Amino acid sequence: MYRYDEFDHKIVTDRVNQFRGQVNRRISGALSEDAFKPLRLMNGVYLQLHAYMLRVAIPYGTVSSKQMRMLAHIARKYDRGYGHFTTRQNIQYNWPALDRIPDLLEELASVEMHAIQTSGNCIRNVTADQYAGAIADEIEDPRIISEIIRQWSTFHPEFSYLPRKFKIAVTGHENDRAAIKLHDIGIVIVKNDKGETGYEVHVGGGQGRSPFIAKKLTDFVPAKKLLAYLEAVMRVYNMLGRRDNSYKARIKILVHETGETEMRRLVEEEFAKIDASQMLSLPEAELDRISAYFAPPNYENLPAQSDAFEAAKEGNPEFSHWVKTNLVPHKTPGYGIVNISLKPIGGIPGDATDAQMDVIADLAERYALDEIRVTHEQNLVLPHVKLDEAKEVYDILCAHDLATPNIGLISDSIACPGLDYCNLANARSIPLAQEISTHFADLDKQYDIGELKIKISGCINACGHHHVGHIGILGVDKKGTEFYQISLGGSADEKASLGDITGQAFTEDKVVDAVDTIVETYLNLRQPEERFLDTYRRVGMDPFKEQLYAD
Amino acid sequence: MPTKTHLIANGAVVDDTWVFIDDETPLGDTPAIISLDRLKAEADTLRSRNAKLGVVIRTNTQGKTKLGEDVRELSPYLDMLTTIAIDFPVYRNGRGYSDARILREELGFKGELRAIGEVLFDQWSFMARCGFNTFEIDSSIPVKAFNEALNELSEAYQPAVDNQRGVLWRRHGL
Ligand code: HEM
Ligand code: SF4
Repeated sequence: MYRYDEFDHKIVTDRVNQFRGQVNRRISGALSEDAFKPLRLMNGVYLQLHAYMLRVAIPYGTVSSKQMRMLAHIARKYDRGYGHFTTRQNIQYNWPALDRIPDLLEELASVEMHAIQTSGNCIRNVTADQYAGAIADEIEDPRIISEIIRQWSTFHPEFSYLPRKFKIAVTGHENDRAAIKLHDIGIVIVKNDKGETGYEVHVGGGQGRSPFIAKKLTDFVPAKKLLAYLEAVMRVYNMLGRRDNSYKARIKILVHETGETEMRRLVEEEFAKIDASQMLSLPEAELDRISAYFAPPNYENLPAQSDAFEAAKEGNPEFSHWVKTNLVPHKTPGYGIVNISLKPIGGIPGDATDAQMDVIADLAERYALDEIRVTHEQNLVLPHVKLDEAKEVYDILCAHDLATPNIGLISDSIACPGLDYCNLANARSIPLAQEISTHFADLDKQYDIGELKIKISGCINACGHHHVGHIGILGVDKKGTEFYQISLGGSADEKASLGDITGQAFTEDKVVDAVDTIVETYLNLRQPEERFLDTYRRVGMDPFKEQLYAD
Repeated sequence: MPTKTHLIANGAVVDDTWVFIDDETPLGDTPAIISLDRLKAEADTLRSRNAKLGVVIRTNTQGKTKLGEDVRELSPYLDMLTTIAIDFPVYRNGRGYSDARILREELGFKGELRAIGEVLFDQWSFMARCGFNTFEIDSSIPVKAFNEALNELSEAYQPAVDNQRGVLWRRHGL
């Protein structure tokens, strides 16, 4: 894992002190709420329906057990005993008091964490594949370049007042788990035909009111030139992005209105100038320095097959189920990647209590080489667990309600905060996710249905990624009552697609039935081995529509 | 927008000898800041004028396609200009930061680069890093507060127009 040096410490500490001054000026009245807004936003402090909310950055979703313990401590001391892991691999606290936030940030800084640029119209926390460094067939650990991007983009003097927020995601694997095509910039690590490693850059993806899949602007930029390339994209956007209407201000609209070819030309032109100045060419020594932090940990030399593990599966069907859904093969023989579901049946997607966070921290320390990951699907990961010890880990997870065997299944849904917390919401999201997961609680049924990603947003801003849900659910407002529009066939992976709307929206009391109808229709139509998404792509909307709107 | 401003240069309040002149008013022989349109239209006569000349670059916050004036249009005229003022119509509109870097780094402008408009406490240090060297700020703000704000963040990761090389480079003595 990356560790701060004196420079990193200084930058984060200066920021805490600066924010303390800003909060003092706000509390004394010297700063109006209006003028305070951009400052608190840039420090991750939002004003929600009931209170301020604080979003803490978890760069590329990686935390140590020490950091996880701090997140638990903060939940206990400054909040109501829980935190909420978000789709941006961050954690959010819903109830901190404004005057205590500077102290909170100081405590975070002591474990090399911060809330910098987790909101506001700046370059946000960089996200990456949660299996980075642990999965087989990765070209390069995406956290290396993500950390470099984190540093380059932190307090970037030119790009802190962009037309709109800006999100960058990185994957180093051909299976995209970071939804890079739905980001303002998505980076895929690739090898060229000379065998050199470089970066493919996609620009202009996004969700919200008008969703777009990103366009590939370049096939290959070497590491040394990547910051120059990114700076070129950012400058073109900062100069030409619209600022007249916040819904038209994302780079996706610029790319769409300018056209892919012209956008590429503009970026290339800017890139040529920056590149010629050499100002941003990344020193080899810095790339090496940061890479060294992400060198593989000290794995033990183990046989690929673990007898203890096989025996435990034999003897315990529940464990065996959990293994099937929640344990992913590791690149190293004798290890596995453990997914911890934060979607207990009927629970709030992404929430974890302070006690659970402490347990996970202990598990990471004892069994997982001290690392934890946060996934964009609002779950956690212990990336390096010995198969010999998987059953022990499982037993402890079970004891803390953290072993729901549902990763990728219908009850593993994403939901935005919705009407329970958010002042832009049309409808509730969390209670709907809870109802759906309760409705499909039966595990045998869930296994039968197989991979099915439900994503729920309380309004068109799409924080819950409904556009890319296999089943997407969107809260819409009709004369003050909550309605839900359903879409089918979205996907956020390397074959990203946007869902198609089924038709008329459903009332709150009909929406779970509608999901049930969709699932039944799929079960009737599917061919062997077909996932929901495959069936939908094969048969299209009509059969689903027929069943949904039969009477 | 501040109603009354003072000008800060090199960490002190300075007398502002410049006057913004609109497109209809004839130019006298005192330092004058004019619009880009007027500069382009009257460049030939302005070249033989015997007083310092400045220009203001405006950004249009409501524009759909006309987002604001293009600093690159200044390139044929830079030798005539002592001052370039860049307007921030609202603090949220950060286009002027790119204008400044383009002027300094791409076009090599060495004169006064002045931030005007909504130029607030928490933007000053970023503006300075992008190459602004004078600031029109609310006159109720003491210069001490300004100087403190400039030093709140003592390190920067990335290079810009100031002489900080950026931590990513400085770690290796570059
Ligand atoms: C409760 C307070 C929240 C508010 C007021 C809010 C507001 C918004 C708005 C206005 C947008 C649309 C931006 C645009 O299209 O330009 C948006 C998008 C988004 N938000 Fe939120 N949000 C909130 C909470 C969250 C949370 C908790 C998460 C993470 C779980 C989240 C993740 C996202 C994502 C992933 C997008 C889509 C980004 C894209 O368009 O590419 N938001 N949010
Ligand atoms: S999608 Fe809408 S309701 Fe949900 S959190 Fe975002 S802004 Fe709020």
